[in-house]
Amino acid sequence: MGFFSTIFGFFGFGLGISIGLVAGYFLFIYVQSSDVEDPEIQPLVDQDPKTLERMLPEIPLWVKNPDYDRLDWLNKFLEYMWPYLDKAICKTAKDIAKPIIAEEIPKYKIDSVEFEKLTLGSLPPTFQGMKVYVTDEKELIMEPSIKWAANPNILVAAKAYGITATVQVVDAQVFASPRITLKPLVPSFPCFAQINVSLMDKPYVDFGLKLIGADLMSIPGLYTYVQEFIKDQVANMYLWPKTLEVPIMDPAKAFNRPVGLLRVKVLRAMKLRKMDLLGASDPYVKLKLTESNMPSKKTTIKQKNLNPEWNEEFNMVVKDPQSQALEFMVYDWDKVGKHEKMGINVIPLKDLPNDEPKVLTLDLLKTMDLNDPQNEKNRGQLELELTYKPFAEEDLQKGYDETQTLEKAPEGTPPGGGLLVVIVHEGQDLEGKHHCNPSVRLILRGEEKRTKHLKKSRDPRWEEEFQFVLEEPPTNDKLHVEVVSTSSKLGLLHGKESLGYVQISLSDVISNRRINQKYHLIDSKNGQVQLELQWRTAE
Amino acid sequence: MGLISGILMGMVFGIALMAGWRHMMAYRSTKRIAKAVDIKLLGSLNRDDLKKICGDNFPEWISFPVFEQVKWLNKQLSKLWPFVADAAELVIRESVEPLLEEYRPPGITSLKFSKLSLGTVAPKIEGIRVQSLKKGQITMDIDFRWGGDPNIVLGVEAALVASIPIQLKDLQVFTVVRVIFQLSEEIPCISAVVVALLAEPKPRIDYTVKAVGGSLTALPGISDMIDDTVETIVTDMLQWPHRIVVPIGVDVDISDLELKPQGKITLTVVRANDLKNMEMIGKSDPYVVVYIRPLFKVKTKVIDNNLNPIWDQTFELIAEDKETQSIVFEVFDEDIGQDKRLGVTRLPLIDLEAEVPKEMELRLQPSLNMLKIKEKKDRGTLTIKILYHEFNKEEQLVALEEEKRILEERKKLKAEGVIGSTMDALGSGVGVVGSGIGAGVGFVGTGVGAGVGLVGSGVSSGAGMVGSGLGAVGSSLSKAGKFMGRTITGQSSHSRKKSGSTTPVNSVQENGGAKPR
Repeated sequence: MGFFSTIFGFFGFGLGISIGLVAGYFLFIYVQSSDVEDPEIQPLVDQDPKTLERMLPEIPLWVKNPDYDRLDWLNKFLEYMWPYLDKAICKTAKDIAKPIIAEEIPKYKIDSVEFEKLTLGSLPPTFQGMKVYVTDEKELIMEPSIKWAANPNILVAAKAYGITATVQVVDAQVFASPRITLKPLVPSFPCFAQINVSLMDKPYVDFGLKLIGADLMSIPGLYTYVQEFIKDQVANMYLWPKTLEVPIMDPAKAFNRPVGLLRVKVLRAMKLRKMDLLGASDPYVKLKLTESNMPSKKTTIKQKNLNPEWNEEFNMVVKDPQSQALEFMVYDWDKVGKHEKMGINVIPLKDLPNDEPKVLTLDLLKTMDLNDPQNEKNRGQLELELTYKPFAEEDLQKGYDETQTLEKAPEGTPPGGGLLVVIVHEGQDLEGKHHCNPSVRLILRGEEKRTKHLKKSRDPRWEEEFQFVLEEPPTNDKLHVEVVSTSSKLGLLHGKESLGYVQISLSDVISNRRINQKYHLIDSKNGQVQLELQWRTAE
Repeated sequence: MGLISGILMGMVFGIALMAGWRHMMAYRSTKRIAKAVDIKLLGSLNRDDLKKICGDNFPEWISFPVFEQVKWLNKQLSKLWPFVADAAELVIRESVEPLLEEYRPPGITSLKFSKLSLGTVAPKIEGIRVQSLKKGQITMDIDFRWGGDPNIVLGVEAALVASIPIQLKDLQVFTVVRVIFQLSEEIPCISAVVVALLAEPKPRIDYTVKAVGGSLTALPGISDMIDDTVETIVTDMLQWPHRIVVPIGVDVDISDLELKPQGKITLTVVRANDLKNMEMIGKSDPYVVVYIRPLFKVKTKVIDNNLNPIWDQTFELIAEDKETQSIVFEVFDEDIGQDKRLGVTRLPLIDLEAEVPKEMELRLQPSLNMLKIKEKKDRGTLTIKILYHEFNKEEQLVALEEEKRILEERKKLKAEGVIGSTMDALGSGVGVVGSGIGAGVGFVGTGVGAGVGLVGSGVSSGAGMVGSGLGAVGSSLSKAGKFMGRTITGQSSHSRKKSGSTTPVNSVQENGGAKPR
C-alpha cells in the first residue's frame, strides 16, 4: 500500500507543483504591472550614510584621479537633450523593425509582433570622466568613462493562436570605458580619417529580461552566466587591442598627396626690357606652383643679358593638377636694394598633356590683371618646356599604405645599407638671447642638411623630411641635430646663434626601425625638438 | 491520502518557488534601480555633494567654476590645430570673402585675402557652461580665447590706387560664444543651431594693421576703414542679439530663432549744448548720427557754425531686442577730409518704459570705451525726446509684412543695381553716397573722409550731387538688396529671413539726409 501511496504522493507533488506554480504566477507575478516608474531621486546631500557607502565604488573617475577631466557640461547637455533623443531613437528603431517583422512573421505562423512599449527611460548615459593621452604620433586618443544606468521599458508582444506572449527588457545598465582613437589626422574637415574604438576592460552589463512578466535574470546563477557570456562576446570583438574601425573619409584624398611631377625646363627669354640705368638687366627666373607651400625655385642669374639662355631644369611636386598653376616671374638681380620684377605670367596645369613635353612661349606681363593697361607694353617673352608626369595609380595607393607601415628603401640602395629618413616635426620652447628665427641643421658623417628657418617662432613647426643614403648601417654613428637662429636683420653683431643641440645615437634607430620622439636640447633651458627617424632597408 | 498530501505539498512548494522568484525579482530590481539612481546622482555632483561623500579628504584639485574647465579639449585642440588650420583656411576664404565684399566700405573697390594662414597657436577654450534657458533649447556658452599668430594679408584695391597688401598681425580674439541648440524629436535631434557672440563681456578682437612693403600713409584712413568693417561685421552679424541661424535638416521652422522687430522708437533729436569746437576758423558744423544697428544709421542735417545747434528732427528706429540693444548717438563735425567726432553717447533700451514719452539730456563722451577716455573734459550734452512703442502681435506682423514688401521691392530694384554699380565705377564719390546709404549713412564718419581723401573733395561732392536722387536710391537699394539676398541664400532659402528692419520712413529719411552731401 505504502508503495502506491508514495507513487500517488509523487504524482500529487508533481501536479501540485504545476498548480502551485501557475497559482503562484498569477498570485505574485501576473499582478505586477509592466510599467516602469521613474525612480525617485533625492539630492545627494539628503542621503543617509548607508546609501553614501553604497555609492562609494561608483564615484566618478574625475573625483578619484586628477588626470581625468570632469565632463559635467556634457552630462548636462545630454540630460537636456535626452527626452528628444529618446523619442527619436525609439521612433527610428520602430521604423526599422517594422518591415523586418512584417517579412519574418508569416514564416513562424505568428499573427503579430508589436512593440507595446518602447522607451529608453528618463536617465541619460553619463560621462564619469574623460582622459586624453598625448603622443607624438598623428592621432588623438581619448578615453571617456561612460556609465549608462537606464530605466528603459521595451515590451514586445507576440500574438499567435490567440495567446499573447510578452518579452520585456527593463533596467538595462552598461558601463564601459572605450578608448577612442582618431587617426590619421588629415588637413581637411573633419580632420581625421578614421575612428577606432576599442574597450580597455570588459564592460559591465546588467538588465532584467521578463518573459511573460517573470524576470529570467533573477533566477540565481542564470544572470551570472548570461552576463559572462555577453562580456566574453563583446570582449572577443572589441577588447583592446582589437578595435572597431569606422572610416570617415578616404584618407588618400584627404592627405592631399602629390599626384604627379612637373618637370620645368627654363629655356630662354627674348627681348627683355632694360631695367638697370647702366647696362643691361641681370635676369633670373623664379618658379612657383600656386596653392603649394614648397619654396620657389630660382634659375641662375645671367649677367647683363636681355636675351638670356638658361636651359635649366626643375622638378616640382603637383598635388592637384586641376586647380594648380605654374607661376613664373622674371626678376632683375640687383646688387643693392630690392630685385626688380621684370614680368610675370601663369600657366594652368590643366592645359598640359600628360607625359608629353610641351614647349611654350609666353609673354611677360606686368601684373596678372588682364585689364591693366600697363600690360600692353611689350616686356619680352619666356620660353619653357613643360612635362607633366602623373604618378601611376598603384603608386598612389602604395603611397598611402606606406604611411601606415615602414616604407622600403628605394631601388639602387646598396645591399646591406639603407636609407636614413629624418623628419623634423616641430620645436618647443626654443629661446634665443637676441633673436629666435629657428632652423634645424642635421649633420651625419659630414653631410649637412638644413630646414628652412621660420621667423620669430618659439614653437616652430617645420614638418620637413630629409634622407641620407648610407652604404652600411650607421651603428656607431651619431646624428648631430642643431637648432640655429639667424638674425633677420643684417647685423654684424649676433648674426647667428645656436639655440641648442642634441646628438642622437643611430644604433637605436636601426634596432627599432622607427623612432618618433621629442628630444630635450643641450645648451637650452626648456627647448625640445621632435624628430622622427626611420631606417629603411631594401629587404 | 498520499495524492492529496502530495498535491498540497506540491502546491505549497510551487507557490513558495514563485514567491521566492518574485522576491528575487524585486530584490534585483531594487538593486538595479538604486544603482541607476546612484549613477545619476554622481553624474552631476556639486561641491556640497562631494564634501558629503569625501568628508575631510576632499580632493584639492577639484573646483566648481561656473564655466567648467575643459583641459582635455584644449589638449586635443592643440594637437589637432595644424590640421584644422589647414582645413579652415579654405573654408574661411570661401565664406568670409563674400562677407567682406558685402560690408566693403566705399572708396575701396576690392577687398580680398591674398594670404591667409592661421598660424601655429591653437585657440583655447577657457570654459564651457551649459544651461537650458528655454524649454526645447540648450544654451552653451563657450569662453573662447585665441591669442594667435595668424598671417593674414588682405589685398586692398582702392580707386586710383593699385592693390596694396595690408597685413593683419597679432590677431587676438577673446569672446564668449553662445551656441543655442534647438532640439527636435527627429535624428539628429537638433533642428537648428544659433551662434552669437555674447555682448557682455564685450567681444575683443584685436589686431594691428600693417602695410606690406609700404606705409599706410599711402591710403589715409585705411586702418580706420578696416576697423570699421570688422566692427560692423562683428556687431551687426555676430554680437548678441544678432545671430547666425543655421538650420540642420530640411523643413525646419526657424522663424522663432530669428531676430524679429520688437518695437518702434520714435526719436526726436532736439538740440545739443556746449559742443566742443574742433575747427580752426569759426565753430564746428555739427550733425548727429543715430543708430541701433550700425548697418542702419540715420543722420540729421548739418547746422553750420554752431556749438548749440537745434535740429528738431524726428526719426523712427526699429528695436529687435530691448534687453540688450542700445541706441548710439554720435555727434560729428562736418569737415573737409575726415569728419571729426565731437562726442558720443549710448542709451540702453532697457532704460525706456514702453509707451511713455520721455525727454532726456544725454552727456556726450569722447568715446564709448571708458578705458580709452583720457581727457575728462566736458563734451557737451544732447537733448532728445524719445518714445518706445512695443509692437503687439498684429503690428509685429504688419512690420514683418512691410519688411517683406520692401524686400521684394528691393529685389526688383536690384536689377537697377547695374546703375548703382556702374556709378560705383564712375567715381568713388557716387560710390560713397550710394553705398553709404545702403549701409545706412554709416560710413559718413570714416568712409566719406577716406573717399574724399582719395578722390579729392571737389570731385567727391560733385559726383555725389550728380549721382541724382534716383541713382543714389537705386544703388542704395541694390546694396541693401544684395545684403538681403545674401542672407536669404545663406540661410537655406528661407524667405522669412530678414536682416534689416528699417521702415520705409527710415530709408526715405536716410536718402534725404544724404542727398545734400
